[in-house]
Amino acid sequence: MESLIIAAARALEAGDPLGALNRVALRNDAPSLALRGIAMAQLGDLAKAKTLLRSATRAFGQKEAVARARCVVAEAEIALVSRDLSWPAKTLAGARATLEQHGDLANAAHAGHIEARRLLLLGRIDEAERTLAGINVSPLPPASLVVRELVVAGIAIRRLKTKDARAALDLAAKAARQAKIPALVAEVDSANLVLETPAARLIARGSEHPLLLGEVERLATSTALVVDTFHHVVRRQGAVVRLGTRPVLFALARLLAQAWPADVSREALISGAFQARHVDESHRARLRVEIGRLRTQLRPLADISATKQGFVLAPRKTRDVLVLARPVEEKHAAVLACLADGEPWSSSALALALGMSARTVQRALEELARSNKVQSFGRGRARRWLTPPVPGFPTRLLLPGPLLKA
Amino acid sequence: MKRSAAEIVREYGPFPGVDAVHGVTYDGTHVWFASGDRLNAVDPANGKVARSLDVAAHAGTAFDGRHLFQIAEDRIQKIDAVTGAVVSTIPAPGGGGDSGLAWAEGSLWVGQYRERKIHQVDPDTGTVLRTIESKRFVTGVTWVDGELWHGTWEGDDSDIRRIDPDTGKVLEQLDLPAGTMVSGLESDGGDRLFCGGGEAGKVRAVRRPRRSEVR
Repeated sequence: MESLIIAAARALEAGDPLGALNRVALRNDAPSLALRGIAMAQLGDLAKAKTLLRSATRAFGQKEAVARARCVVAEAEIALVSRDLSWPAKTLAGARATLEQHGDLANAAHAGHIEARRLLLLGRIDEAERTLAGINVSPLPPASLVVRELVVAGIAIRRLKTKDARAALDLAAKAARQAKIPALVAEVDSANLVLETPAARLIARGSEHPLLLGEVERLATSTALVVDTFHHVVRRQGAVVRLGTRPVLFALARLLAQAWPADVSREALISGAFQARHVDESHRARLRVEIGRLRTQLRPLADISATKQGFVLAPRKTRDVLVLARPVEEKHAAVLACLADGEPWSSSALALALGMSARTVQRALEELARSNKVQSFGRGRARRWLTPPVPGFPTRLLLPGPLLKA
Repeated sequence: MKRSAAEIVREYGPFPGVDAVHGVTYDGTHVWFASGDRLNAVDPANGKVARSLDVAAHAGTAFDGRHLFQIAEDRIQKIDAVTGAVVSTIPAPGGGGDSGLAWAEGSLWVGQYRERKIHQVDPDTGTVLRTIESKRFVTGVTWVDGELWHGTWEGDDSDIRRIDPDTGKVLEQLDLPAGTMVSGLESDGGDRLFCGGGEAGKVRAVRRPRRSEVR
């Protein structure tokens, strides 16, 4: 390896990207391009970093498979941090395999963690967990351990396993202090906040109060009939009725549950579930049909009885009915929930993560922007969205270990 | 051209605090190797680091009998082997793309890695006297008994080869096991060649075939 490249790589490792750039700024050979790419990434110019790393990948010879693979991993991490979820996952998997074959296990593990973070972001929890299980390096360097435990915590939080999440975050905090990387310590701290911030609202017998994640978890063992607006299900312990694809039925169930033990008038049900302004006879007929359908669906859990002015829920085998709702009820709650991670998202990444059409997401974002609930930067395809209270854009880049020694 | 597997006689290291070996030379008693911000003298009998000099050391290392020469960034430092003081510096011919370094017959021989070249350089002025073309990335250079040897390293493949100093033609080639890297090369004047092991942080002694065996 060349002397100036080694000097520049050492500067990068010592956290001096400007020192590294000084040494290779004017050179265009493959390792210089890779070093310039990493330095630009550390300095926050992700677009430039991406271009440089791509040129480096091309410039390395066919025989320099490890060097090429490390560039691919760096590019994938930059894509992840810039929420470019359309980045080809297959390419990353190939690079990971190459690194494994050549005995570069630390960087192969890094590639695996990027894969797992991407899957977690996309809500593919089981796949993220499988990917994590497939990474076998011991001992992992502290910085990698932080990333791993953050993914473990993310999976646990999505699965409402507060205890597991807390244990993973404790391990992450310990490893972050060992790694001595302030950005990682801060990231663990902000992840901890998730457990201390209300995650939901509980509505019961006409009153409501906020719930922490741990309390939401405990609710799962409650014997009450729960109408869960996160998952669009009605459940009592193990018995679950899924209404995710029946929005009108779910809306009716929720209206009935919120009012329980009181009944709900036909007018209220029609305006709440059908979004109708003027109630006429055809609405009443439709309500009868929909209530009939809901009754069929809910049969194992509850009955619905007609009252003088409307309908009332009659739960079976329990004396309690609860509604679990989002902390702040927003029209575009799902979009906001994604943005709540504090990272800049592209509208196409949001569409991919939420399974919505790009146009729908675009409309939601524009509406949220008008009420100052989100803000954007960049133009065209490079446009990114985030929620306002984030100071700067945390990069969270670790990048492949010794990128350039081989 | 004679080609055979390199016979690794002995391995030294890994050494504490050393994450890679960038250059190797031999002063008759100790094997010196460059490890980024230090030059380390290893006793080849017991494999222990006897002393080290705090000096920038990013690539090739050489010894002329009194001074150590060490490539750092885009220059070659001339170092007093006793005090560790940098006596003078000359520009490196590859402008920072330099890799291996050897001293022989009053000249410095500098490998230019990606350009696959070896330059003969005036040690006082840095003037390039002539250039030999190799076919592979050059990672170490040494002269012994009038033979010019250099290390190569491309991707996964490393070997040590003797080339014709006039034509660059490969005369003999010793292949290292796949994944074993050569960074830095030096002869002990006898039948051993010392090679740096790159990221493995090791120094290896490889047997140099006798002339009589070659013919």
